[in-house]
Amino acid sequence: MNRCIERHRNILDFALSSLLRRKGKNLSLLSVYTLIVFIIASIVFFTQALKREAALVLDGAPDLVVQRMVAGRHDPIPIAYRERIAAIRGVSEVRPRFWGYYYEAVTGANFTLVASNDGQPSVKSVFIGSGVARNSSLTEGDFLPLRDVKGTPVLFTVGKVFPSASELVAADLIQMREDDFRTLFDFPTGRATDLTVSIRNKGEVKTIAAKIAQQFPDTRPILKSEMLRTYDSVFDWRGGMVIVILSVAVLSFIIFAWDKATGLSAEERKEIGILKSIGWETGDVLRMKSFEGVVISLTAYLAGVSLAYAHVFFFSASLFEHTLKGWSVLYPQFRLAPVVDPYLFCVLFFLTVGPYIVATIVPSWLAATVDPDAAMRS
Amino acid sequence: MRNSTLFLTLICCQLLICASFVLHARVSRASAGARLASNRELVRRLELTDLCLFTEARYTRHPAMADRHAAFQDHPMALEHFPSGSLVTPPDFRREAP
Amino acid sequence: MARRDGGPRRRHEVLTVIELIEVSKFFNAGKANQFIAVDGLSCAIGRGEVTILKGPSGSGKTTLLTLIGCMARPTSGRILLHGIGKECLAGCAVGDTVEITSLPERFLTSIRRSAFGFIFQHFNLVRGITVLENVMLPAYPTGESLHEVRRRALDLLETFSISRHAGARIEQLSGGEMQRVAIARALINDPVMIIADEPTAHLDSKLSIEFMEIVAGLKTAGKSVLIASHDPIVYDAALADAVIEMRDGRLVGGGTRP
Repeated sequence: MNRCIERHRNILDFALSSLLRRKGKNLSLLSVYTLIVFIIASIVFFTQALKREAALVLDGAPDLVVQRMVAGRHDPIPIAYRERIAAIRGVSEVRPRFWGYYYEAVTGANFTLVASNDGQPSVKSVFIGSGVARNSSLTEGDFLPLRDVKGTPVLFTVGKVFPSASELVAADLIQMREDDFRTLFDFPTGRATDLTVSIRNKGEVKTIAAKIAQQFPDTRPILKSEMLRTYDSVFDWRGGMVIVILSVAVLSFIIFAWDKATGLSAEERKEIGILKSIGWETGDVLRMKSFEGVVISLTAYLAGVSLAYAHVFFFSASLFEHTLKGWSVLYPQFRLAPVVDPYLFCVLFFLTVGPYIVATIVPSWLAATVDPDAAMRS
Repeated sequence: MRNSTLFLTLICCQLLICASFVLHARVSRASAGARLASNRELVRRLELTDLCLFTEARYTRHPAMADRHAAFQDHPMALEHFPSGSLVTPPDFRREAP
Repeated sequence: MARRDGGPRRRHEVLTVIELIEVSKFFNAGKANQFIAVDGLSCAIGRGEVTILKGPSGSGKTTLLTLIGCMARPTSGRILLHGIGKECLAGCAVGDTVEITSLPERFLTSIRRSAFGFIFQHFNLVRGITVLENVMLPAYPTGESLHEVRRRALDLLETFSISRHAGARIEQLSGGEMQRVAIARALINDPVMIIADEPTAHLDSKLSIEFMEIVAGLKTAGKSVLIASHDPIVYDAALADAVIEMRDGRLVGGGTRP
């Protein structure tokens, strides 16, 4: 047993010195390999954490939101619908929601305005998200000028800044009183942006939604489960950008493996011949080659995954910022709760380490099975 | 020092780091619980429906509230918004008005 | 087969280490370009002796070396190894006779590794690694402690006066130094027999004579040496105990051993 371990260690020693001989090539190979694993692992960590965050946080979202559609587009809903909806059996409460968007030309940022008396904002006072504060360099007590529909600037005082821990839900929020909201947007009286419906028995949500759709053909009810489903597909693996990144990563990987697989250089072939002639068995040679593969792929995998974890959870995925930001000026700082899914990482392991080792062994196979006496004749 | 010893030490260190991250994840979950709870409360009080991920354009800010074909939000020639449009698929509404 | 001292061979005085009985080696057997490298050859190699295989190129010397050194199997005939030493085969004691013709490849390799040391015509040293690692290389798969192997390697380098080159790369050595590294490598597993294929082909006269002096040292240490060469410095040397002459795959000037 000891002998077996020693034998493997000796062969590992030789594999390592073999790799060190071609330091430059192997170091660059290792770097690229690590980079690929890093990118994929970062995406995995990021999306898994976001999905979990959405699932846990949006649990507090309304059970049902009723929107009104006019000519195929979203239109403010008559508050009068409220009574009739509340009369449906199973509905516990219907509340009008007032919210909208505000584009600030100075910074180019889009804010989300929410009207709510929660927390008792005083007249002409706003509670702003930490992203807004960061973007416009505001703190409590500062003034925030907003333009109304006529273009007249209305001055608001910053009453509170939402804690930075709430970035993911409130980074771009500006909360104000309902009457301030109506005045600012000259919002049509008797209307609200949409209606939220609270339902006593969660199992009846679909039935009630169907009833609402039937009674109010100009409306569209949106279930909480549908809201969450949208977030399940965030950064959908099958869609768009992620596919592009993954394809590039996998393609570069294939190029590397191909390079290894098709080219056992004359020098490497000769070396294998020499090893066989001095008493190494075919199995020993293959073991050495596979160790070469294992050394690089295992190091790269572990380094890539560790770096990805640090990147996403300690540095708030800052490398993705450019990709995700697009034109937006306001970009939330992602402080996510770490999620480690062992299944995904096993899959990643077998997808990256496995093929690489195979690509290292296969070309050596032929060379390793050469008869030792061939070396005598060379 | 033998090469193999160095390598095995390196791998052990890396495995230790990975293990410490797994531990960190466990521990963070507990402390994140408070943050998640307060966010959930904020969502409930203000009746919010979406995370603040994309503030580029209006309809990307609330993907859960958006129309099925985001490209037609403003007018039919409006192109799909990048990058959010390629990252978030349109919501899957099961019922429209009959 | 002629003996240097001219006297008849006395079997009970000379122990045999390797015995070949009607050994033949065909290449591309049955095809149009069938080639007979060794044809029905029988001979015996003495233990602790220096045996020279003499003959022109194409006479089958190299093939015979590969057969004796367990690198290839004969097409027909038998090869017996007598008392080739420690741990060559599980359960095989020192002094046993082993017939290698029917052994599976794994055992052949194991025997080759522990019983034989090879010196190749072109040295066959691995470029890019140090002299010390080159010498240690044949011992890696045996599972021996590397510390022990390193110690032996350094001793060997010392014996051949090249220990100052221990950390140097092969490319930096001269022909004679490479020759000595090759010899040191052949000795790392403490083999019973050294097999050398045209060792002086790339050496000048001075270095060739030096090589024969090293061979003398090996003989004194109790090793058996088998050298294939068409260099007169080698086969005419006083050191040689027996000369086997070959031509066209057959022995010349002598029949089978009585």
